[in-house]
Amino acid sequence: MAGLELLSDQGYRVDGRRAGELRKIQARMGVFTQADGSAYIEQGNTKALAVVYGPHEIRGSRARALPDRALVNCQYSSATFSTGERKKRPHGDRKSCEMGLQLRQTFDAAILTQLHPRSQIDIYVQVLQADGGTYAACVNAATLAVMDAGIPMRDFVCACSAGFVDGTALADLSHVEEAAGGPQLALALLPASGQIALLEMDARLHEDHLEQVLETAAQAARDVHTLLDRVVRQHVHEASILLGD
Amino acid sequence: MLQKREKVLLLRTFRGRTLRIVREHYLRPSVPCNSPLCPQPATCRNDGKLLSSDVTHYIIPDWKVVQDYLEILEFPELKGIIFMQTACQAVQHQRGRRQYNKLRNLLKDARHDCVLFANEFQQYCYLPRERGESMEKWQTRSIYNAAVWYYHHCQDRMPIVMVTEDEEAIQQYGSETEGVFVISFKNYLDNFWPDLKAANELCDSILQSRRERESESQESHGKEYPEHLPLEVLEAGIKSGRYIQGILNVNKHRALMEAFVRLQGASSKDSDLVSDILIHGMKTRNRSIHGDVVAVELLPKNEWKGRTAALCENDHEDKALGESPSEPMPTGRVVGILQKNWRDYVVTFPSKEEVQSQGKNAQRILVTPWDYRIPKIRISTQQAEALQDFRVVVRIDSWEPTSVYPNGHFVRVLGRIRDLEGEIATILVENSISVVPFSEAQMCEMPVNTPENPWKVSPEEERDRKDLRKTHLVFSIDPKGCEDVDDTLSVRTLRNGNLELGVHIADVTHFVAPNSYIDIEARTRATTYYLADRRYDMLPSILSADLCSLLGGVDRYAVSVMWELDKTSYEIKKVWYGRTIIRSAYKLFYEAAQELLDGNFNVIDNIPEFKDLDEKSRQTKMEELVWAIGKLTDIARHVRAKRDRCGALELEGVEVRVQLDEKKNIRDLIPKQPLEVHETVAECMILANHWVAKKIWESFPHQALLRQHPPPHQEFFTELRECAKAKGFSIDTRSNKTLADSLDNANDPSDPIVNKLLRSMATQAMSNAMYFSTGSCAEDEFHHYGLALDKYTHFTSPIRRYSDIIVHRLLMAAISKDKKMGIKENLFSNKDLEELCRHINNRNRAAQHSQKQSMELFQCMYFNDRDPETEERCLSDGVIYSIRTNGVLVFIPRFGIKGAAYLKNKDGLVISCGPDSRSEWKPGSLQRFQNKITSTTTGGDSVTFHLFDHVTVKISVQASRYHSDTIRLEIIRNQPYMIPDTELCHQSALLLKSELVKEVTRSVEEAQLAQEVRADTLQEEYQEYCQTKGRSLYKLLEEIRDLALLDVSNHCGM
Repeated sequence: MAGLELLSDQGYRVDGRRAGELRKIQARMGVFTQADGSAYIEQGNTKALAVVYGPHEIRGSRARALPDRALVNCQYSSATFSTGERKKRPHGDRKSCEMGLQLRQTFDAAILTQLHPRSQIDIYVQVLQADGGTYAACVNAATLAVMDAGIPMRDFVCACSAGFVDGTALADLSHVEEAAGGPQLALALLPASGQIALLEMDARLHEDHLEQVLETAAQAARDVHTLLDRVVRQHVHEASILLGD
Repeated sequence: MLQKREKVLLLRTFRGRTLRIVREHYLRPSVPCNSPLCPQPATCRNDGKLLSSDVTHYIIPDWKVVQDYLEILEFPELKGIIFMQTACQAVQHQRGRRQYNKLRNLLKDARHDCVLFANEFQQYCYLPRERGESMEKWQTRSIYNAAVWYYHHCQDRMPIVMVTEDEEAIQQYGSETEGVFVISFKNYLDNFWPDLKAANELCDSILQSRRERESESQESHGKEYPEHLPLEVLEAGIKSGRYIQGILNVNKHRALMEAFVRLQGASSKDSDLVSDILIHGMKTRNRSIHGDVVAVELLPKNEWKGRTAALCENDHEDKALGESPSEPMPTGRVVGILQKNWRDYVVTFPSKEEVQSQGKNAQRILVTPWDYRIPKIRISTQQAEALQDFRVVVRIDSWEPTSVYPNGHFVRVLGRIRDLEGEIATILVENSISVVPFSEAQMCEMPVNTPENPWKVSPEEERDRKDLRKTHLVFSIDPKGCEDVDDTLSVRTLRNGNLELGVHIADVTHFVAPNSYIDIEARTRATTYYLADRRYDMLPSILSADLCSLLGGVDRYAVSVMWELDKTSYEIKKVWYGRTIIRSAYKLFYEAAQELLDGNFNVIDNIPEFKDLDEKSRQTKMEELVWAIGKLTDIARHVRAKRDRCGALELEGVEVRVQLDEKKNIRDLIPKQPLEVHETVAECMILANHWVAKKIWESFPHQALLRQHPPPHQEFFTELRECAKAKGFSIDTRSNKTLADSLDNANDPSDPIVNKLLRSMATQAMSNAMYFSTGSCAEDEFHHYGLALDKYTHFTSPIRRYSDIIVHRLLMAAISKDKKMGIKENLFSNKDLEELCRHINNRNRAAQHSQKQSMELFQCMYFNDRDPETEERCLSDGVIYSIRTNGVLVFIPRFGIKGAAYLKNKDGLVISCGPDSRSEWKPGSLQRFQNKITSTTTGGDSVTFHLFDHVTVKISVQASRYHSDTIRLEIIRNQPYMIPDTELCHQSALLLKSELVKEVTRSVEEAQLAQEVRADTLQEEYQEYCQTKGRSLYKLLEEIRDLALLDVSNHCGM
């Protein structure tokens, strides 16, 4: 294989974007009626669906209840048809567990859990198509779903990935770019305060470049925020029109 | 910011089974068009290279044209070329990385008028591939569509010619849009460039070779070679350790039989192989060519073979396999080529008789490359007869498994065989050196300095720089007649009693802006090339000999390093780096400086700066200068002693200097007295280099350019140790310190050449010093073995080395790091720097080789005119320095020639020496021992040659039509020649060496005068290849030393 050129001399990536540009993002809130909150997001070809139930009483073992705050329960799953090759993934495999844990950490930091002690919030995320940046898509979808459920949060949680190729940081990696095996960084940001909810890094990267990559990812996350904000406002606007009638 | 639209591109890839992959494809309304005619340059964001505005049309090559005729598109005459992204991707996918990189470099090259248009990312140019449409058709359609858009984008002001090889496309689109012409490439060349003969010829030759290849692939006869394995298999095999990756190195002396694969990096760690892998014969070499990166499979142990230790002559296949080869070594066969490193090859067509014997097909001719290591190449051309007496450049196109020899095509003519210019051009091409004169655009960037319009120090620079003109006594010490002075020195006492030592280097980077035309040119050249009779400068002479040269009595910009030293212990207390303005007070030469140092003041009459002074000021000025030189020497002694304690090496140096008169003719050759001043200046330079290396490494830990000299492999010293043992010395090679000491001790008072030979053997065993980027190397590998320094770089000769220019830029960025970030942007990243280092190292090696080859050329031309039977000069004294099974290697101190002398000739006769010690050939046998070889005739006489024996040799030239001529040595007598008065030998030796160059050049010039009528063409060639007429021989010799020793004895002026 004559290695793909991830970044051409003219500064274009494989799919025609420039280094700092995001993929096209489309999102919708309130896609299901039976759930408390739900959202669907497309980031390029990565598609994710999130539903939120709660806050409600602790299900199952009562011992899990936390006296001072709500328990955030996250589950991640990915459809068998989501990747290039059809692959059956058993429920609760390592990858989904890890992703669930990461999502839980992220939303523990963002949701004002102390407002709902001894209760539980369930977030279920399903990836329908995986084309790079699944974690980011899941976080963004879940944020919208949590908002749709009306659960108070500190801020949006916006996530985006970034990579590093030939001395340039690339925002929002697609599957091709991820598969090339370079360093990859996933960042979940609370945009208003600039606080980082989660930061994860794969492969080795020289620490001198870290700042550059981090800044690219943060900027991309802020861009995602503007878009999500628009989606939320649009949704609220539509809802208020419906209510007004 | 998201004004993009999304389209989905469907692709199918095959990985075992069919896969459907959906990829996004983003389009944007505007991509850079890079045309000066663009109506909205702001929206197009045209930054970087633009097409020139003075072309009559733009040319857009179709993908097929880019793939096949890239060589022609590289002609600088063809201007206004727009490469469409579609075409570039076709090259990348179908022609591999090598071709694609060529295209990329072409696009990056500011000198070449071509741009890339990213048509596939452009909203209006992108066409989705239709169902059932072939890839080829879609590519052509896309390119045509983009061409039309481009035409309208430039508001129909510039006609566009699309050249394609697709007949259907010509018919279909030929007259579709006015102003966009679609024609074939051949047609285009014929109509637009009828005068560009070279391009037309090249086009024909490419066409023909392609046709041949096609017809050949149809004939399917038996395979000569096994197929190469696919790349995936190779990569997997290398990872698993089944195959071994390495660079193929063909043995020059047995090109048909032996090749070695030098292991590369990772693979050598896993396997326990230490040595190279032998590839025996052409079959197992499997179509790989010298320099290729190959994958090798080891053969089972019982098929391993040994390398041959016998001497053999190049053009004959070895028939006398009587002697047994050495013990078997790992042997393998090539299973695939990972990277082809084909370059341009110089070849010679066979003479008429040979062509006829080659058989029926007169159009396909086997040509013989100049380089022994390259196999014969099959060329199809009609011009074979006309090209018979010329050296010709060809390129290899392909090597099919069905064919014994590779196919190639003819590119251009260099010159006649045996003609000096032709042969020099051959050497240049073989080393991939291109030396066209500096172009108009490059010269335009140069500052002016004429008597009418003299160059002056600008007020801004005066403000920014530290002015040392009044405060410091700056002077330079160089060889006599030197014109590019790039280093000066100063020393003074500070108010607090401490000393201040300063090294001031010409500020070349002030004149050479990063990425300017001249910078790019200098980067490509990387170094100044010195051949035996000429040099090719890295920078134009306005810089190298004038504005950057720190001449006496004029204001010059400099980059300085100044140390504050303790007054008594000379410990360094402080160091300052920065840009300065200096005015060198004295331009001294070594001898004068030494005389002053020794207290011999008569010499001041020879120093022009003192001439016009009255007695009194002369006295004070002189005292000042003498004090400075004395102090410098003191400091240098101290620094040197410190370095010696760590084990710095002093290897063989050149013992001669050429003295030139005002017209730069050689007046005299004086054996170099090892003057202390030399060492003083060299030590200051080493100190400056060392401190600059430290500074740039501290500021840019992963993108600084340093120079390393890795410690040598112990096994390479075996020969040296054994040779020394033969003379009763023991050489301790455990560290650089012990080596230096034991080399000093290994001195035979009766024969100084022994020590010299031992030192040169030690030099040969050394690894090469190399530039590298600090980001790609662990810190403990930075060490410089020869100089015994932990960090070293080249800083002191920016006029003739590009690495120094980079180091200057790094240093400038380092000292202005806090102030502005702007400079930093021009620095190379680690990866780019690493690539650049590889390039510079490569060029340095090429410079070394070309110099050696040109020297050999001159030697041959010199001896060619002489009849070895009668001429006294062809007899000389030689020293045996190595023993082989059928001969010995001899060093001739008088001419500096090393070569082989046979003790057994082709008829199987061995040498024997009668009572008068004259040698004769008689039947007999040879017996080789550790450090001697005995030849016994059937008559029972025997003669023994020991290591370091002096013998008399006859020098003759072995002429060769296809290759360079070679010197041939024959032992005449087993006694030293005449009286081995080495002292005298020495002197005359080097005298001869330079005389030799002079004489050959003269005879060539005479020949030129004789043919006054035809002189025009020769003159042109002379102009073309020789930029400076001044034959500064001292430069040459200094350079030989520099190259040979790889800065082990770094000297001033260097």
